[in-house]
Amino acid sequence: MINHKFLKRLFQAYYRENKDRIPLISSFTQREFGFIPWKEETMMIRHIGFNDIDGLKTYFINNAPRHAYSSGSLYLMPENSDMDQKQYIGCDLIVDIDVDHFYTPCKEDHDIWICKDCDTIGKGMKKKCDKCGSLKLKTINWICEECLEIAKNEIKKLMYDFLIPDFAIQPDEMHIAFSGHRGYHLKVENKRIRTLDSDQRREIVDYLTGHNISFEILGLEKKALNIYGLIRENLDWSEKIINKIVNMLQTYSDKQLNNFLKRIGLNSNVIKSFLNSKDNFLYTLKVDDHNLWSIEGFDVITWKKFLNGVVDKVGVELDEPVTIDIHRLIRYPGTLHGKTGFKVQELLIDELEAFDPLNETRDDLDPIIFKSAENTHKIKIIEKEVPQTKIKGETYGPYEKGEIVEVPNHIAIFLLCKEVAVLE
Amino acid sequence: MMSSESISPELIQHYPWLPSLKKVYEDIGNQDPLKFTMSVLSKQKNNLKERILNLFEATFNNIEFIENYKIDETNIYLYLMLRILLFILNNDILTNRIANLYSKIQYDELLGENDFNLYKILQDLNLDIKYYQIPIKYRVNKIKDQTEVLRTNFRIHYIDYLKLSSNLRDEYRKLVNNPLSEGYVFILKKRLVRLLQEYVRGKFLELKEKDKQNLEVLRSKLLEIEEFEQIYNIIKNQWELIKEEYDYSIEFKFKEGADISTIFPPCVKNILSQAKEGQNLTHNERLFLTFFLHALEYPVEKIVDIFSTLPDFDRDKTTYQVEFAKKKGYDPHSCETLKSLSLCKAEKYKDELCLKGYYSKKLDETRKIKHPLFYVSFNQFKLSKDKNDQS
Repeated sequence: MINHKFLKRLFQAYYRENKDRIPLISSFTQREFGFIPWKEETMMIRHIGFNDIDGLKTYFINNAPRHAYSSGSLYLMPENSDMDQKQYIGCDLIVDIDVDHFYTPCKEDHDIWICKDCDTIGKGMKKKCDKCGSLKLKTINWICEECLEIAKNEIKKLMYDFLIPDFAIQPDEMHIAFSGHRGYHLKVENKRIRTLDSDQRREIVDYLTGHNISFEILGLEKKALNIYGLIRENLDWSEKIINKIVNMLQTYSDKQLNNFLKRIGLNSNVIKSFLNSKDNFLYTLKVDDHNLWSIEGFDVITWKKFLNGVVDKVGVELDEPVTIDIHRLIRYPGTLHGKTGFKVQELLIDELEAFDPLNETRDDLDPIIFKSAENTHKIKIIEKEVPQTKIKGETYGPYEKGEIVEVPNHIAIFLLCKEVAVLE
Repeated sequence: MMSSESISPELIQHYPWLPSLKKVYEDIGNQDPLKFTMSVLSKQKNNLKERILNLFEATFNNIEFIENYKIDETNIYLYLMLRILLFILNNDILTNRIANLYSKIQYDELLGENDFNLYKILQDLNLDIKYYQIPIKYRVNKIKDQTEVLRTNFRIHYIDYLKLSSNLRDEYRKLVNNPLSEGYVFILKKRLVRLLQEYVRGKFLELKEKDKQNLEVLRSKLLEIEEFEQIYNIIKNQWELIKEEYDYSIEFKFKEGADISTIFPPCVKNILSQAKEGQNLTHNERLFLTFFLHALEYPVEKIVDIFSTLPDFDRDKTTYQVEFAKKKGYDPHSCETLKSLSLCKAEKYKDELCLKGYYSKKLDETRKIKHPLFYVSFNQFKLSKDKNDQS
């Protein structure tokens, strides 16, 4: 609670000083707003509407919420708590890319899990305890440059491999924001897309992720003893898949290919056979006109495993329910994220490439708004283990429970927001 | 690209569900149902009545086409009267069946249209379509030394594609399995027409969702019109005679002649009930049902009849496919496969045998059901045992 009071005061000061920098989103008066206050229990206050941006700014200054959201949907009566009475108009297409939902190698270094049953501590992205198998795990998920870069690459993939070429979404219809924590949001504002229902959005999600793809429909077929594969020139997912395979065969080392094939569940003999045939296979994909996919040990099931592995690499790692659900709320740009103290930073497409959330050099894009080397705080670590934190080029930690450390303002706020430390 | 021109009265007569009906036949399209019924039945009495009843009779008899289907102004009245009647009858099964039959007729008609007319129809529906006079290549299939090149004249905007195909659940219609570029899906004419069939079907199915508050008021007013009352009563009486056949129960007999419909597992019941209602079935649902009924040695024609209620039913094709499956002797899917295909309905039906399993005396333990055929034989065994115990 001490943390909460302190953090709320800081958030309040931010909103007071930066109220003119809170952006106005489109169709503002038709959006529903939701807030999570600084309380022990996380209860969202929903179904709030504002007549103008000044109302919202005043709300921020008065309440300094821990988290602030607005709806992707538009309603005639956004403040009505009865969904049927809200008078739904339509919903923007929201894509949430959050490294919480997919594997990144850096999680082996910085994500910690603690078993609530046997107290075992481990690292990585786990669903159950390594020791006792319990599903009751407490997780401390961290961030680093590497996982945020992976999230950024997913947003780029989403735009440049899918939304622009396949769906013809115009750049000015896409609104990107760094979420203030572990990922990015992309909102597509398009009148026709707003009319899609959840089932139709699910179809878009499947297209973006490659889920429910049928390799038989794309052309994978066994005839007699031969297996015929997908063809690069076909204007469906085949093109994406073959391009990726060609890229992998040309750029991956044998070790990287071996790891990939192992991860998708192929046995060592089949992997060996693949590595021996990789040049022939590349020739088949790029030059040969017979489309005969012939590698010893590869039957249709093996090819499907292989292709599914490639699809996972081609598809976008998005949080599916967010895109499908038409009543979701997403973080309001310019507000602060209560789990980090970072700002939800809107970005133009051109700004995305150079954007570096943990070490941003452009002041107007920097999400770490509490940065200060001079202003420090003494804090006490209350979590068993706290991973290393690297922000603004400086590294802090790892820490252990009971340690008292003096750290710069933004690091202290980050650790307090993460609830792994208290003010000393 | 083709130019956009206004739609001809002939096309409206052919396809009265087109939005331009209200423009081209302003006097008909904008009338309220009561006035329309009064005026049209007094003018068109016999001709229209005959066509309406023909259509219902074909539906009741499960016939998939209408003999002497005519394209004239009466065809417009027929469409509008069908809508009024179905709204008033307020019977979901009848609405589905008429929707399927009518949309099938329209499918055949649309398939025979030239590209020019088809493009005008698509435009009238305000669909975002690109038409290419020279067909464009979008796919190549290469098997051995044979190369098949697929070309099409049509591309449809993905939003329209998603809206028109959302009730069609086949894998090949999923967006992810289709060529999409620059916002448009490449689509063969036949598949595009199938989407239009779905639109036509939807024009009837939407009646189920319409505000039913004024239903009774409108019904009583309409029934004051003698000609309407006659038609309404004939349909109602016919329905009373045959409705038993439509009640949910499976009328097919097992090979020994015993009715085993009540002991089918929920996965089969669910598909059968969807078929009864005339809903679309996915490819997997069709396959599984066919394999399952073959395993129980149902006659081919009985299996084909089950599929006859489906919107895209084609008797010759279905018979060929059902016979082919029989020849091949495929086994029906196991419970595990059904689960992976999302066809297991144990939870939906809260089926205890599926969910909890059964007690095996021999093994002295509870065993899970692993195959839908075992579900049938277990229940059959239990039934015969109960019978013996009673006697």
